[in-house]
Amino acid sequence: MDEQLLQTIVIGLSNGLIYALVALGYTLVYGIIELINFAHGDVFMLGSMLALTLLVTFGVTTGTDPLTAIALIVLVLAITMAITATLNVSIERVAYRPLRNAPRLAPLISAIGMSFVLQNVGLLWKGPANLGFPDVIPNTNVLTTVFGLDTSVSITYKHLFAAAVTIPLLIVLTWFVAKTKQGKAMRATAQDPDTAGLMGIDVNRTIAITFIIAGALAGAAGLVQVLYNNTTVWNLGFRFGLNAFTSAVLGGIGNLQGAVLGGIVLGLINAFSDRYLSAQWTNALVFGVLIAILVFRPTGLLGQQLADRA
Amino acid sequence: MSSLIAPVEHGKTGGLPAWLAHLAASAANWPGAYRAQLRASPRRTALLSVLVVLVFVYPLLNRVVLQPFSRNVFPLPVPDDTTVVFMLIFATMAIGLNIVIGFAGLLDLGYVAFYALGAYTAAYLASPHWSGLSILLFSDLPAGFPGIHLPFFIIFWAAALVAAIFGALLGAPTLRLRGDYLAIVTLGFGEIVPVFFKNLVNVHFSFGPIQLVNANLTGGPLGINPIDPPELFGIKFGVINGFNAVYLLLAIVIMSIIIARNLERSRMGRAWMAIREDETAAEMMGVNTVRTKLLAFGLGASFAGFAGAMQASYQGATTSDFFQFSTSILVVIMIILGGIGNIWGVILGAITVQYVDKTVLGWAGNRLKDIGNAIGNPDLGQINPSQFSFLLLGVALVLMMRFRPEGLLPSRQRAAELHAAPPDQALGSAAVMEIEEEVIEEAAPEDVEATAAAPDGGAAGEPPDTPGRTGDGS
Repeated sequence: MDEQLLQTIVIGLSNGLIYALVALGYTLVYGIIELINFAHGDVFMLGSMLALTLLVTFGVTTGTDPLTAIALIVLVLAITMAITATLNVSIERVAYRPLRNAPRLAPLISAIGMSFVLQNVGLLWKGPANLGFPDVIPNTNVLTTVFGLDTSVSITYKHLFAAAVTIPLLIVLTWFVAKTKQGKAMRATAQDPDTAGLMGIDVNRTIAITFIIAGALAGAAGLVQVLYNNTTVWNLGFRFGLNAFTSAVLGGIGNLQGAVLGGIVLGLINAFSDRYLSAQWTNALVFGVLIAILVFRPTGLLGQQLADRA
Repeated sequence: MSSLIAPVEHGKTGGLPAWLAHLAASAANWPGAYRAQLRASPRRTALLSVLVVLVFVYPLLNRVVLQPFSRNVFPLPVPDDTTVVFMLIFATMAIGLNIVIGFAGLLDLGYVAFYALGAYTAAYLASPHWSGLSILLFSDLPAGFPGIHLPFFIIFWAAALVAAIFGALLGAPTLRLRGDYLAIVTLGFGEIVPVFFKNLVNVHFSFGPIQLVNANLTGGPLGINPIDPPELFGIKFGVINGFNAVYLLLAIVIMSIIIARNLERSRMGRAWMAIREDETAAEMMGVNTVRTKLLAFGLGASFAGFAGAMQASYQGATTSDFFQFSTSILVVIMIILGGIGNIWGVILGAITVQYVDKTVLGWAGNRLKDIGNAIGNPDLGQINPSQFSFLLLGVALVLMMRFRPEGLLPSRQRAAELHAAPPDQALGSAAVMEIEEEVIEEAAPEDVEATAAAPDGGAAGEPPDTPGRTGDGS
């Protein structure tokens, strides 16, 4: 195969994994309370700012000794995930839970309001400029340096890092939802909250746990964003969030595997559009795909039958 | 107001002539109608009369008294003419979006697309953009002047028509979608349209007889300018013509109110509300949901066309940067804050949000600066409240949804739906609220749970054998 094509696929896959992390947050929440959580992208944005601040505080920078750096990154990951999880569940408590029985429009509008609030928190905290972060994870090509292959295709430590954070989280999440008691409660609540409540499931607690998981994933994605893309900004969450939501819809909203697949497909679409079409058309293409999917196959690629309930 | 602007009774031989005759008759009869109204509800009529007079005197008052006073004596949060114009432009859009969201219940998050289409239509038809052409109509420009220059009354309707066509085009593939999915498709459409306007600048395209080489279709990121100012009866209404444009926009807003109110009370308006409440039931009752939804999208969009034409013509320039997702959301916020479903409410929402955003916050920033200087703490002046308009909006939305979801000036029906349960139940114990809204309306507090346990139905309170209308041409 063409090396340029392979390179585009590598970029698309690693970007797609970050989309997938955020998309899972959308799909989990949508699956359980049928709310497009507009604030989710902004939780991700705040997560990236938090991760950046923590990394700077701990003195992680380009020259840091690899083992120390890894230990600190793991620590930062844990702290960020804990804080964004708390943030997300607090948002649920303040802005969505009181509206559980309001007309459908109410929580959606509340989510949009929350999104504005979080964006402005980011703006107040870090100012309007793009925040940069140095390359902690080396940009060296693993294929040439480690495996000694003669190729211009570049898989860097950064690409591997994105995969190393994302894939275990996806596996843990899938296991959690499919195998644990709490996961079963989540699936039951997603199917029918009333009946789930009658069966003795604490619906509010289950929803809170869903928001905790979604927030933690957004925090992890925030850290990956900082270390992989080396930048963050207060309005990052909106654009990124729309892309992630598109991934969730693409895969079939409410479906976890679908969100991952959708994220990867969207990452690939983005990468191919940037490479072969033009970056300025990428957004239009992404939304074109979204509209086409919703119009022709509203259940998404791995469809779940939610279209009628929506 | 009902006797001032009476709903039109279409006779068998109705149509436009009858409507015009009816309009003329009501116009001739208005002093009598006004006196009758004054007798029937004196306070309301007097209040409305004062309000109407104020609205018409205000631009003059603003220019002659308030602005000089604010400049020279004591600073007041007085909006300048451009802000007033944009309050009214947004009021027009709010009236249109209210048709889509408030009447028909179709959540449209991409309304800005139609605003953009209206603005670019006006830009194409009244600017030197198409420099290869020279089409002048009722124009005092010299013959051979480059570009298309049509009179404003044509542009205005053309913009509405283009917006309406695209509204229906967007509506067509989304008919099967409900709720959130519709919101996302419209959001996507709202994102795509500005991208096209921004990027179609160096187009190379060849398809059969169509050959485009480096064609500048939209002016790219710079947009299109200069656009001719609106001109009617020899009076110009551009940004340099002072408060003229305020009166033009007042006329447009009043026209929009009349159209929207008549639509609301028409057969189509009832059909919109029927599909808003329950699409399946409406369809069973013989409402042609396809036509109803397409008309809601198309007619709703046409108001954004009006607004777009005014934006472009008034400011004399338009670029794709005016038309971001935040504008769509802003209009949604306006109608939600004002009172969704109620025309007066959404106008109030539009005016309030624009006023606070464009005037009050800037004024507050300047006052902070003054206070800071006065007490010797210049740091206070560094705070710029305008920067936080979206923070305020966000907080307002969250609080509003929680404590007053029906908006500042709600429609009576919606308020009743949302507040029928006693307040302690409506906000307090969430546990007993797994009930349909309609059920709450009828249930006494003590038998809420009993009603909730009852099977579906019985909530609508209509005999099931009511013969449905079927003559809707489905």
